[in-house]
Amino acid sequence: MQTMRWRWLAALVLALGVLAVGACGDDEDSGSGDAGTTSTAAPTFAAGTTMKKLQDAGEITIGVKYDAAPFGVKNPTSGEVEGFDVDLGKAIADELGVKAKFIEALSDNRIPFLKDGTTDLILSTMTITAERDEEIDFSEPYYVAKGRILVKKSDNDIKDVADLAGKKVCTALGSTYEETLKKQAPKAKLSLVDGYSECLELIQNGGVDAESTDDVILTGHIIQDDSLKLVGDELTQEPYGAGIKQGDKAFKDFVDGVIAKYKSDGRWATAYEKWVGQYTGEDQKPPTMTLQEALDLSK
Amino acid sequence: MSALFDVLTENIDEFGGGLWVTARLVGGAFVIAVIVGTFVAALRIGPSVWLRRLGGFYVETFRNVPLLVLLTLSYAGLRRAGLPIDPWTAAIASLGLYTAAYVAEVLRSGVFAVSKGQIEASLSLGFSYPQTLRRIVLPQAFRTVIAPLGSITIAMIKNSAIVGASIIALGDVLKNARIVQSDTFKTEESFIWAAAGYLLLTGAATLVFRLLERRFAITR
Repeated sequence: MQTMRWRWLAALVLALGVLAVGACGDDEDSGSGDAGTTSTAAPTFAAGTTMKKLQDAGEITIGVKYDAAPFGVKNPTSGEVEGFDVDLGKAIADELGVKAKFIEALSDNRIPFLKDGTTDLILSTMTITAERDEEIDFSEPYYVAKGRILVKKSDNDIKDVADLAGKKVCTALGSTYEETLKKQAPKAKLSLVDGYSECLELIQNGGVDAESTDDVILTGHIIQDDSLKLVGDELTQEPYGAGIKQGDKAFKDFVDGVIAKYKSDGRWATAYEKWVGQYTGEDQKPPTMTLQEALDLSK
Repeated sequence: MSALFDVLTENIDEFGGGLWVTARLVGGAFVIAVIVGTFVAALRIGPSVWLRRLGGFYVETFRNVPLLVLLTLSYAGLRRAGLPIDPWTAAIASLGLYTAAYVAEVLRSGVFAVSKGQIEASLSLGFSYPQTLRRIVLPQAFRTVIAPLGSITIAMIKNSAIVGASIIALGDVLKNARIVQSDTFKTEESFIWAAAGYLLLTGAATLVFRLLERRFAITR
């Protein structure tokens, strides 16, 4: 009788384990529920294309940043992720007539996510580089950011990239700044973290002296904490592209088409003003840089 | 296959540096874990009820807080509180104090594993209490805990990977493997070498503890 009881207990534990695994399957859904509803007649696509597969599945999984305001940030009040990248993702989903599902993609794991099919598309402030182009395909540039340096307002030592020598500088692991800083500030001590929210924490608590990344992300930090300031000239130009699985030409053409329309019909300007312009006070036109120019820039 | 080895040889500085950082980290944490763990275990088996409670409080605190939380609190938290702790101190202290809670529990169970009858027999044969502790209880307790201490050490080496992933961001084995991965896009290769790095350290620990066990084994 004693052993029977043990077997029941073991079976119960296993069953609970299986249930738990099953439940994990679909609680990643953090995206917007309303994205698919606005589109009317979605175009039809040939069988076998990524567009057709996504339409059959009824949703597109898009990797975005959760901590890179104002491009991709999880709103603590609503729990929804929002930003410039998210709006563009919704536009692409609308064009397909499917629901957009957003998951978090870090600088470090977004390319593997695309390769292993975890995401169908990446819109995560990703700079187009020739090196990355070997691994994945890029859309035409949809935004051009500029590399800058952020320090505390009270810091009078760091005025330019040359002053970073011997200083602790934070950026995201796997970002282009890892390389940019190694080149332009070889004597800086790099703190490579998972996301820019950690850089903000480190610069606030004094764990690092400076942070370097795209101006838009740094501006997001200044909005959160006005004891910080931008210094120095532009380090780099960072054209953002949507990441697409290597070799999927048809899907790339489709995404390029959506982006071109997005730029020309005024939606780009609206999104820019909503997410960037109102904070920086700068006017900007949709980028005219081509993918080839972006790739040449990184060489 | 050669692609696998190319990733290692072309990034040997990153992998070697990561191994050295992790080795120093777990070395320092091990010393803290053993010293603090022994001290806390002594409190836990001591004669005073308040000291026993203090020991119990330590164990429950450090055993029930996730290591990542401990790392973040000890670094970002203390810095914000105005104590400019450096990354190494925060990392070694967190990992060491966390592991010490487990060490204390194992040492305590080792002492309790010696049967009460032996202690009574020893006392009735005329040994004093300290003599009984030194000659009868502790030698047996020590032998009993070698194997579980080995497990704790191995767990600590693997737990050290959380340091690199935390806000402390030391360039340990895992962190540097991720840097290689992001530079080369060779995901499997980078992580296979990270696994090999940890295996090297845990393998060394396993070997040391196996030797200790053999050296102090008693046939029962």
